[in-house]
Amino acid sequence: MLSFLIWIPIISAVIIGFLPHKLLSPSRIRLVSLTIAAIVLGWNLLILVKFDPSNSGMQFQEYLPWNETLGLSYQLGVDGLSILMLVLNSLLTWIAIYSSNKETERPRLFYPLILFVSGGVAGAFLAENLLLFFLFYELELIPFYLLISIWGGEKRTYAGIKFLIYTAVSGALILASFLGMVFLSGGTSFAWDSLSIQNIAPALQLLLLGGIILGFGIKIPLVPFHTWLPDAYVEASAPIAILLGGVLAKLGTYGLLRFGMGMFPQAWNVVAPTLALWGAISAIYGAVIAIAQKDIKRMVAYSSIGHMGYILLASASSTALALVGAVAQMFSHGLILAILFHLVGVVEVKVGTRELEKLNGLMSPIRGLPFISALLVLSGMASAGIPGLTGFIAEFIVFQGSFSVFPIPTLLCIVSSGLTAVYFVILLNRTCFGKLDNNLAYYPKVLWSEKVPALVLAALIIFLGVQPTWLVRWSETTTTAMVAAITPIEKTIVAQIPHN
Amino acid sequence: MDFSNLTSQLNAGTILPEGIVIVTLLGVLIVDLILGRSSSRWIGYVAIAGLVAAVGALYLQWDATNPISFTGSFIGDDLSIVFRGIIALSAAVTILMSIRYIEQSGTALAEFIAILLTATVGGMFLSGASELVMIFISLETLSISSYLLTGYTKRDPRSNEAALKYLLIGASSTAIFLYGVSLLYGLSGGQTELGAISNGIAAANGGQSLGLVIALIFVIAGIGFKISAAPFHQWTPDVYEGAPTPVIAFLSVGSKAAGFALAIRLLTTVFPLVAEEWRFIFTALAVLSMVLGNIVALAQTSMKRMLAYSSIAQAGFVMIGMIAGTEAGYASMVFYLMVYLFMNLCGFTCVILFSLRTGTDQIAEYSGLYQKDPLLTLGLSISLLSLGGIPPLAGFFGKIYLFWAGWQAGLYWLVLLGLVTSVVSIYYYIRVVKMMVVKEPQEMSEVVKNYPAVQWNLPGFRPLQVGLIVTLIATSIAGILSNPLFTLANNSISNTAMLQATAVEKNQVSIISTPELEEL
Repeated sequence: MLSFLIWIPIISAVIIGFLPHKLLSPSRIRLVSLTIAAIVLGWNLLILVKFDPSNSGMQFQEYLPWNETLGLSYQLGVDGLSILMLVLNSLLTWIAIYSSNKETERPRLFYPLILFVSGGVAGAFLAENLLLFFLFYELELIPFYLLISIWGGEKRTYAGIKFLIYTAVSGALILASFLGMVFLSGGTSFAWDSLSIQNIAPALQLLLLGGIILGFGIKIPLVPFHTWLPDAYVEASAPIAILLGGVLAKLGTYGLLRFGMGMFPQAWNVVAPTLALWGAISAIYGAVIAIAQKDIKRMVAYSSIGHMGYILLASASSTALALVGAVAQMFSHGLILAILFHLVGVVEVKVGTRELEKLNGLMSPIRGLPFISALLVLSGMASAGIPGLTGFIAEFIVFQGSFSVFPIPTLLCIVSSGLTAVYFVILLNRTCFGKLDNNLAYYPKVLWSEKVPALVLAALIIFLGVQPTWLVRWSETTTTAMVAAITPIEKTIVAQIPHN
Repeated sequence: MDFSNLTSQLNAGTILPEGIVIVTLLGVLIVDLILGRSSSRWIGYVAIAGLVAAVGALYLQWDATNPISFTGSFIGDDLSIVFRGIIALSAAVTILMSIRYIEQSGTALAEFIAILLTATVGGMFLSGASELVMIFISLETLSISSYLLTGYTKRDPRSNEAALKYLLIGASSTAIFLYGVSLLYGLSGGQTELGAISNGIAAANGGQSLGLVIALIFVIAGIGFKISAAPFHQWTPDVYEGAPTPVIAFLSVGSKAAGFALAIRLLTTVFPLVAEEWRFIFTALAVLSMVLGNIVALAQTSMKRMLAYSSIAQAGFVMIGMIAGTEAGYASMVFYLMVYLFMNLCGFTCVILFSLRTGTDQIAEYSGLYQKDPLLTLGLSISLLSLGGIPPLAGFFGKIYLFWAGWQAGLYWLVLLGLVTSVVSIYYYIRVVKMMVVKEPQEMSEVVKNYPAVQWNLPGFRPLQVGLIVTLIATSIAGILSNPLFTLANNSISNTAMLQATAVEKNQVSIISTPELEEL
């Protein structure tokens, strides 16, 4: 059942890529890809419906032996941590394909690459084997490099190479830590249920956890390792930016939760205070830098850094509530970032610029882009954490769950949440409000097809904002079980530290 | 000594695969003498059939009950069978590539094939040779044929220069190797058979003596030259650039595999007493090769030179398995060399195709190629990404196994260095992919603008296409469907008596050293 999520997109990508030109005209390729993405999304929703939220373990497991010499097996499963990420992945893939330009150049490469990436990401979220996870994780590398550097903006070559190198380094760190985890624990298989990290000496555990945090920290990204992000997000075209920010960044936080917190409960408690502070610094840094930007896409890109900081704070505090918040934040950040990137893309196409100095008065009902501006206001509010929208729910759960453990970093994050409101107000003020320039304002009409993705996302953002049960019910039992695995050890480690 | 005893000691059936290649070689030569140039249309296929038959004969000899032949001077154990298979296959693919290339250069194809088959025989004998004179003779057969092949397009001054450089460095390194070998003969009290040498040295209490260390270093100088490990690599970039491209394809896979086969056999059987020392030397060679090969490859503008530095770097990766010295270590070497065969030959086939159609192999000239020749772009991209270790291609699994074996044996720093230099290598491999795929139509190079229409029915292009597609498919799926290859690699090691002794020894050492690790 789960395999279809991986293999439908990948196999259809290969078929579309290799079909002769005559059989599939460029405009049909988009339609076919859209249909495939819709099928995958439907399948994913079916899994969501059948998913049993009261079960904390892995569900729908699949197992095939693959390579015993390497300890690599094809082992899939889904739990509360990954189910929402899977839905997010297939939803955003559909949105990305839908919001792509109908006249995309080289569609025979573009759409297959997107489908391929979608299958790869699904595989990474589903993998129950460290090496299988790594395989799917590295599978994203080349397609995303090509997607950025072929269909990107002006500095796309630079941005593509920068993304490639950062991600490759992240992969190397992760692989080194995985190898270490398996051998130092005396295992022979990479299947994570057979690993017993507890056998490893505490100092080595810290070292391995450090590798994992650095590796996934590049992908998330955490502050000193984030410099690939503004370039990659800004230079990528709107559909690719949606996938990069909405899905790929989640792979980083998911990896951190699953392999950092889930597998190193002892060492996690040691590094948690640092991580919490780090997350807070990340959040503040992202917000402050976003305030200084003159380009709306760069603002949105830095807002992403800020929002990922909250997830780090939540995972560091590792209370049951904070973890639910982390998962909710991952999902809602995916939605909000996707709608923001989509709207910014529409504005760029219609108005022809992304600069705050030149944009003005888009709210104007007749000659402006009133509908797009209205949605931009809504999504800016969602991102800044205004109640009634999903962003608020997620952030509030995170803050409430973390405050009891790390009060100071939580307060810092709340400050950064305030700063988020500041730069979104700046953004909305400069773009939506004010007067239109009479000489320049002859913008093309916004087509219905350009509104649909934003409408879908906006509806979801509002619905989850007023009915948050649907956001948190999936992950509650899984995260509670994860926390339960950590807490008893927390006490013993406190007792141990004086001895060392 | 009665006759039946003599035949059983000779056990000449072991070298049946080499016999087939030799018969093919003579057949090719004689046909060329009788029919002249007119035979060149089909002579290549005869040679390929001969090589495939040799591989078939190797298959039949798998797990032979009595591998020792010619009174101990040749051993047909499973390890040698794997390496002989790699060498024969690389020669077969090389012939597929060279049919058109050699014709276009205006030289005789049959002569070329004859020299190539001689090199193949030399390499195959080297893989199983277990006696000093035999090793030296087969090494020389391989080397001298390689010099001839390098300078085969004799009107091209670059080919001449490459041949001279290769000859001078090669001959000196063989001389150094010979000096080391003669020292071994002296130290062991006049033994030439490998197993007897180590016993002889142990009996003469020569373990860890200065003489043994000098012999070791001299021998490694010869081996390092064949596998182009830094600092014995200096010939590689110049020879790769000057020599005919099919020859490079053979040197980078066949000749390198022969070098590694020699390294495993010689070092594990003759030098168990100084195992720590040669592991140390090889660690240094591996570090140098990975760093130098990968860093210098960043700055190359010629495709063949870039692949030259890449092959130096790949040798560094393979050496990790050698240094590990465990069963998994040797098996990972064998597996990596098998997938290296596919990916490197696929890459070189594409380089040949491009230079046949355009006459150049500068990296910048590849720009915009995807529009004119999608199959070539796909083949070169897949092979280069596989060399860079991108999943789910064959090279990814090869590297994972090497790193896994290295990590298992406790070579943490070496594996980390391998990972870091792999990241560097992705950069220069992707640079070519970028040229071909990412560039816009208006950024197309002059050469690609005038690219001839892709035609496969010209004489000699069909075999190139077959070679490209077969190696391309193998590179793409040999990773995912890697179980048979893994089994083959693992069995070839576990069935080899010679490696069992050393591997067990090493395992005990690692068991003893684990408590120290846990104290960390």
